[in-house]
Amino acid sequence: MTDVKTDERTTGTPGTRAGAVRALLRGTPENAGLRQAIGWGIGLLVLIGAFGLQTQLYTGQVRTVSTVFMFVGLAAAWNLIGGYTGYACFGQVGFFGLGAYSTAILMVHAHVSFWLSMAVATVIAALFAALVGWPLLRLKGHYFAVATLGVAEALREVVINLPKLTGGGAGITIPTFGPDAPTPWLGNDGFYVLFLILAAVAVAVGGVVAVSRGGYALRGIHQDEDAAAAMGVNTTRAKTLTFAGSAALTGAIGAAYAFQQTTLFPVRPFDVNITVLMVVMVVLGGSGTVAGPVIGAVAVAYGQEWLRQHITTGHALVLGAVIILAVVFMPQGFVNYASDAARTGRLSLLDNVRRYRL
Amino acid sequence: MRTRTLAGAVVAALVLAGGSACGSKGDAGGGSDTGNGKLILGASLSLTGSLAKEGALTKEGYQLCQDVVNGKGGVPVGGKKLNLEIQYQDDTSKPDTAGQLVDQFNDKGIKLILGPYGSATTEAAAAVIERNGQVMADAAGADDKIFQKGYRRTFAVLSPANQYAASMIQAIYDLAQPRPTTIAFVSADDGFSKTVTKAGVKKATDMGLTVVGEEYVPNGATDVSSALTKIKPKNPDVIIGSVHLAEGVAIVKQAKELGVVPKIFAETVAPPTPDFAQSLGAAAEGVLGSTQWTDKTAGSDKWFGSAKDYAATFAKMFNGREAEYHNAEATAACLALALAAEKAGSTDPNKVRDALAALDEQSFFGPLKFNDVGQNVTKKMGVIQIQGGKPVPVWPTDSAGAQMKYPGAAA
Amino acid sequence: MSQFLQATVYGLLQGCIFGLVAVGFSLVWGVMNVVNLAHGAFVLMGAYMAFELNQAVGLDPFLGVLPAAAAMFAIGYLIQRGLVNLVVNAPIFITLLLTFGLELLLVNGMLIVFTADYRSIPTDYAAHSITLPGEVHVPVGRLIAAALAVALTVGLSWFVRRTRTGMAILATGMDRGAARLMGISARHVYALTFGLAAALAGAAGAAVGSVTTFSPADAGRFTLFSFVAAVLGGLGNTYGALLGGLVLGVFQAWGGQLLPGTLVNAVAFGALVVILAVRPQGLAGRAFYASRVEV
Repeated sequence: MTDVKTDERTTGTPGTRAGAVRALLRGTPENAGLRQAIGWGIGLLVLIGAFGLQTQLYTGQVRTVSTVFMFVGLAAAWNLIGGYTGYACFGQVGFFGLGAYSTAILMVHAHVSFWLSMAVATVIAALFAALVGWPLLRLKGHYFAVATLGVAEALREVVINLPKLTGGGAGITIPTFGPDAPTPWLGNDGFYVLFLILAAVAVAVGGVVAVSRGGYALRGIHQDEDAAAAMGVNTTRAKTLTFAGSAALTGAIGAAYAFQQTTLFPVRPFDVNITVLMVVMVVLGGSGTVAGPVIGAVAVAYGQEWLRQHITTGHALVLGAVIILAVVFMPQGFVNYASDAARTGRLSLLDNVRRYRL
Repeated sequence: MRTRTLAGAVVAALVLAGGSACGSKGDAGGGSDTGNGKLILGASLSLTGSLAKEGALTKEGYQLCQDVVNGKGGVPVGGKKLNLEIQYQDDTSKPDTAGQLVDQFNDKGIKLILGPYGSATTEAAAAVIERNGQVMADAAGADDKIFQKGYRRTFAVLSPANQYAASMIQAIYDLAQPRPTTIAFVSADDGFSKTVTKAGVKKATDMGLTVVGEEYVPNGATDVSSALTKIKPKNPDVIIGSVHLAEGVAIVKQAKELGVVPKIFAETVAPPTPDFAQSLGAAAEGVLGSTQWTDKTAGSDKWFGSAKDYAATFAKMFNGREAEYHNAEATAACLALALAAEKAGSTDPNKVRDALAALDEQSFFGPLKFNDVGQNVTKKMGVIQIQGGKPVPVWPTDSAGAQMKYPGAAA
Repeated sequence: MSQFLQATVYGLLQGCIFGLVAVGFSLVWGVMNVVNLAHGAFVLMGAYMAFELNQAVGLDPFLGVLPAAAAMFAIGYLIQRGLVNLVVNAPIFITLLLTFGLELLLVNGMLIVFTADYRSIPTDYAAHSITLPGEVHVPVGRLIAAALAVALTVGLSWFVRRTRTGMAILATGMDRGAARLMGISARHVYALTFGLAAALAGAAGAAVGSVTTFSPADAGRFTLFSFVAAVLGGLGNTYGALLGGLVLGVFQAWGGQLLPGTLVNAVAFGALVVILAVRPQGLAGRAFYASRVEV
């Protein structure tokens, strides 16, 4: 914990405008309501800006930005279970793939419309998470991570081995034009809006959790689960609900992804690299915060895309180096770093290294 | 107070959203890929990821095409000479990235696309091509399923998947004395390999061979011991592997370890690649492989000459290395687009598309002619056998380099 | 019957190879609570070193195990001392992300330096097999790799329990603060452990290189199977990885015989999830290691 220097440079002279601004930045119990309202206001402005951005982009860029929104949603959903509650789920992509394949199967075999399929896929993902969470949420730390990873990998193998239902390794194709199609394809522009709305919902859920009693319960569980239980928090219920909610959001995004891709092969919707990317985005942005996943997702997704376009060979290498540097110099994530810096006036990155190294 | 603020915010957002969701700017202007005397082609290739090796071979084929065509002055299109310029992007071997890259090419006005490596990525790209009104010359996606979807803007220069195993079975039937009677299949479980296996099983049954086993292994497996252990008691004369390189090497290696000794191995995709013989050493001797092209393939064209000329050009450009079919099929795809642009007299994608559909030309790669769904069914596949550590064409006999050795497996 | 026996024997040999690859991973996780996602990349580096030595001077890959291990020890020590030690006190998943970035760096670096060619280190004897009664074939190459796995596990066990350095490693793994109070330099011990794990990975790579083909894209697979083997066997024991690997290998072999071949991986992961749900410390692990969150 860094010590807060209590001189006028940080607290400001009370009664002056500069002092009020500093108090606002720092956060006191009196201005909590105002801070939250400002937070929602900023979120709303960003959302409107994102809608407006669409008119400025060409089709291929629309697709790239849609992918960025997809990752924002995924990161915000992971943040619920991994960031607030501290249970890092390394099988999150399992819910993504489950939502995607449920949608594909319903649309192909039962000719259900996309919207209904997405709703059903969301519920399926949530129920599956509750089911799987019952034995697995008892595990902690790396063990929970590995167990959920195993579940995601097992799901992928099951999908590969049910070729009549899922097409197996040969993939499954959702009909998107002609009389076979239950819902016509939404178009790049349509998917832009869909992913944006899903991302907004995920971030909004994170925002609501952050300020509610439930959110405090989750943070309590993160810091010391036994103490939280002693305080009367029903930890099992809180964890399971959060896990299911996080899975539901991820499953809905998976459903949209399936429809966008139209042809699904089992490897990508269950790719462990998607989970790791989610974790990178949340941690670099600032886990356990509302804006963290958004900032992290935009930075990493856009950065990855930019690198891929401009350094055709070796882009992944540069990405690896950037991740290493970011993790060493800003392990608490950007949002936490910025709010600490605003509060204490300390900007040094080397301080981070000194704090966390052995 | 918080709830009311929240509700008001949501309403405001919805109102504004309804107004501003009026769509993107659309295409960045199409058909402008001639700019400054250049014919720009887009290629989304797997430069990293699980298909990096094969993507690299495909890229070499495209590069050779660009160098040779430009060295001869460029493609004559409507009275002007245009230099080829191929822009590469890395799809990291992932189908969804491939689709996204094709969209991005479309943005920049690049409508003529060279295909990626592999049936999965090609299928994803083909869907986008169809939507955007682009045209794709498919170099390395052979799965018949791609062409059963009603797409009209993707044209595959390579022979379709159903030929891969069937051609080897025909070769064995024609040339192996005494003729074998039992055959077993080991197949990877991706779409392309499954299509190959199904067609192979049908061909074998039609020719009167008994199929004693059809085992599937996970795609990319380096341990196929369970499949081989199940096949061993059935003592097949021939083992056919519808696989890629990793599984292909594993089959031969582990068969030797487990004491599974058929009279001959025949595999798709793997044997013609140089890594196969290098990884297996002496154990690779006698393995058959199906190939899209050898340096004895009949046919020639004005850009690359005959197959032998192509092999010589390749060796000169790549330090004496031998060309293999992954390189050749890539060059052929690039050639098809160049020929079509020349015939159409324009780079407009619709005119090029029609010219491709009507194309009927001989080339170093064999005949280039597409049926009404875009597959090149006039071109036949060849069969090679590893002899002396190198792949040697053995079938069809009129373009063979040596006799097929049977039994082929090292005892 | 002989088919089943053959599958079991082959599965045991395959399991020893899993164990060989996983033993370094398990060591790092047990002592430092660091999940090293770059472990597969270390294995590959060992394989490439052995390959290059084989190409350059014709060194047999099983002899190439020694130089590969030595080189990887140095690299591992430096990486831990210079890089991973910087984030050891950070929240638990920071180290995970660091090793993920390291993995990207190493794998893509290898892709650029060695290209994506599939390689193997063929030796004349590796593919021969000894035939046991009952028509059971035992391939020589895999047998040597299995023997190496057992030897390294036994050697590690001896090292950790009978030498001062080894005991320092154990102690630091149990309680870093107390170890430091006893005068152990935790920085040095951590670096030593990581270096040792990298050396074990390099040795495994050299052995694996002669048994199967490898290319840079295989790194992820090695790491994933190390996960499964380490968790199945349990942490806190030097032979946990070998035990987990053996169980995994045999399960896969039996599964491959009784079920369609494509379910083999599903069996592996299904087993992993079940064991974690029922007995998180694995077959031979210590419960303490399963419940701790921070070291």
